Amino acid sequence: MRNDNKKSVIVGIFVLIGIAILVAGIMTMGGQQKKFVKSISLNAVFDDVAGLQVGNNVWFSGVKIGTVRRVNFYGDSQVEIIMNVEEKVREFIRKDSKATIGSDGLIGNKIIVIYGGTTQAPSVENGDRLQAEMPLDTDRMMETLQENNLNLVTITENLKVLTSKIAEGQGIVGTVMTDSLLGENFKNTLKNLEIASVNSNKMIAEMNKFAQNLNQEGNLFNDLAKDKELYKTLQESVNELQATATNANKMTSDLSKVTEKLNEQDNTLGMMLNDPEFADRLKQTLIYADSSAMNLNKGLEALEYTWPFRRGFKRMERANEDN
Amino acid sequence: MSLTSNDNKPVISKKIDRFFIGLASAFTFVKRFFQEVFKPPFEFREIMRQCYEIGYRSLPLISLTGFIVGIVFTNQSRPSLSEFGATSWLPALISIAVVRAMGPLVTALIAAGKVGSGIGAEIASMKVTEQIDAMEVSAINPFKFLVVTRTVATTLMIPVLVMYTDFVALIGSFLSVNSKELVSLSTFFVQVFEAISFLDVFSSIIKSLVFGFTIGIVGCYKGYNSSKGTEGVGKAANASVVMAMFLIFIEELLGLQIVNAIRNA
Repeated sequence: MRNDNKKSVIVGIFVLIGIAILVAGIMTMGGQQKKFVKSISLNAVFDDVAGLQVGNNVWFSGVKIGTVRRVNFYGDSQVEIIMNVEEKVREFIRKDSKATIGSDGLIGNKIIVIYGGTTQAPSVENGDRLQAEMPLDTDRMMETLQENNLNLVTITENLKVLTSKIAEGQGIVGTVMTDSLLGENFKNTLKNLEIASVNSNKMIAEMNKFAQNLNQEGNLFNDLAKDKELYKTLQESVNELQATATNANKMTSDLSKVTEKLNEQDNTLGMMLNDPEFADRLKQTLIYADSSAMNLNKGLEALEYTWPFRRGFKRMERANEDN
Repeated sequence: MSLTSNDNKPVISKKIDRFFIGLASAFTFVKRFFQEVFKPPFEFREIMRQCYEIGYRSLPLISLTGFIVGIVFTNQSRPSLSEFGATSWLPALISIAVVRAMGPLVTALIAAGKVGSGIGAEIASMKVTEQIDAMEVSAINPFKFLVVTRTVATTLMIPVLVMYTDFVALIGSFLSVNSKELVSLSTFFVQVFEAISFLDVFSSIIKSLVFGFTIGIVGCYKGYNSSKGTEGVGKAANASVVMAMFLIFIEELLGLQIVNAIRNA
């Protein structure tokens, strides 16, 4: 009887350990695969899911946050993916986040990748639909690659023709490659260039020195560049010069008007300057005036000796003598 | 009513008749098991003894086998995976292989060899020495005492043994992966549990229950229906192992189809 009990106890322990292994396995698996985590449901509609299956992982920022719960056909030929996502990451996924289909490694399982989203948009809620972005299609990639291959073939063919021409010494490059004299010239040119560069270096150094001198205190250019007062004064002088120029301009225009008028005969001075007839008459008048003045002079001289004015003239002479 | 015909004239042919008669006999045997298993008395003590013999006593052998399977399978898979630089997938591969198929299958085959032959030989020798008849005479239901207890014990113990095998095989695999790929225990088990699903675990348990039942019932059937003489004991032991293994493979195949159908549903 005691032996039987011992066996029963051993069987009990044996079974218990077996069940413990099972339970530990299930709990670890469930914990890892987020089976017992509170989750929300999100969905996205794709044109092509590239072999995505129920149970595949959902990633956000490279972290597994859930699994694909259902894959349904939707509309004409689209596919609706319903995924379970952990409740605790809900706040990080925004309503404008996008979902695409990626791969877990180069040849790994298909996964849903949630990315993007701006902080301006609110967090997603249970049942929200994310915008689906179609993943890179390998067939299309291969098509592009094939196009590239064809281009590459053309390029290599062209290159082949080009290199054969170069090898034969045709064209500029061919001549350069094959002509030894040209090579020698090229070498000389390079030498000259070297000398030129040395000279230009020297010149730059000189210019540098010159610029340094210009930058020294008390230098006109330095003052111009740095002295604000001088700038102000210069500015004022320029302003004054400008005002003067404006006045001169005005005066010139007035003078121009005067000369224009002087050139015309509708005014006295213009007539005097331009009308020869008037000039003759004026000359005549002056001649007459001159003779009249002489006659007047004579008359006045006669008046000096005439009775009522004789005494007056004598008094004037005496006063001049006294002074 | 006896299932063997008294009429010498065969219905189809002698061999085909024998096959169908054997099938009917096996069906009746299984049917009787299900009739007896839920009827008291339940013979708990005998069931416990058989559990000890079948489960606990098989543990060292099963553990060693599981451990070796884990190491060997890992080492054999490594070259293929390393060809395209995917040795980091070894834990996932081993986990799927061990939990889905290798664990239950290896355990069931080892148990069929060790336990099934034992049951067949034991019951056959009891049959030969007329102990079964003696039981019937002494008002003990030999079917219940011998067949039901052993079949229940194998049905219950094989799933537990499978858990041990899975665990030990994964430990063996870890030692191999750790020595070559320098993967830590936690990383290894994270990858192991990442790769499998609840369906894998539960299908493995259900398969083990079926395998256990098959080992027990086949062993008992072959022993219970052994021919007279010492030769019959050897034949019964041998036939129970061969038949049990054959049925295990058939069940594995059917189980795989059913699980895949559920997985893709």
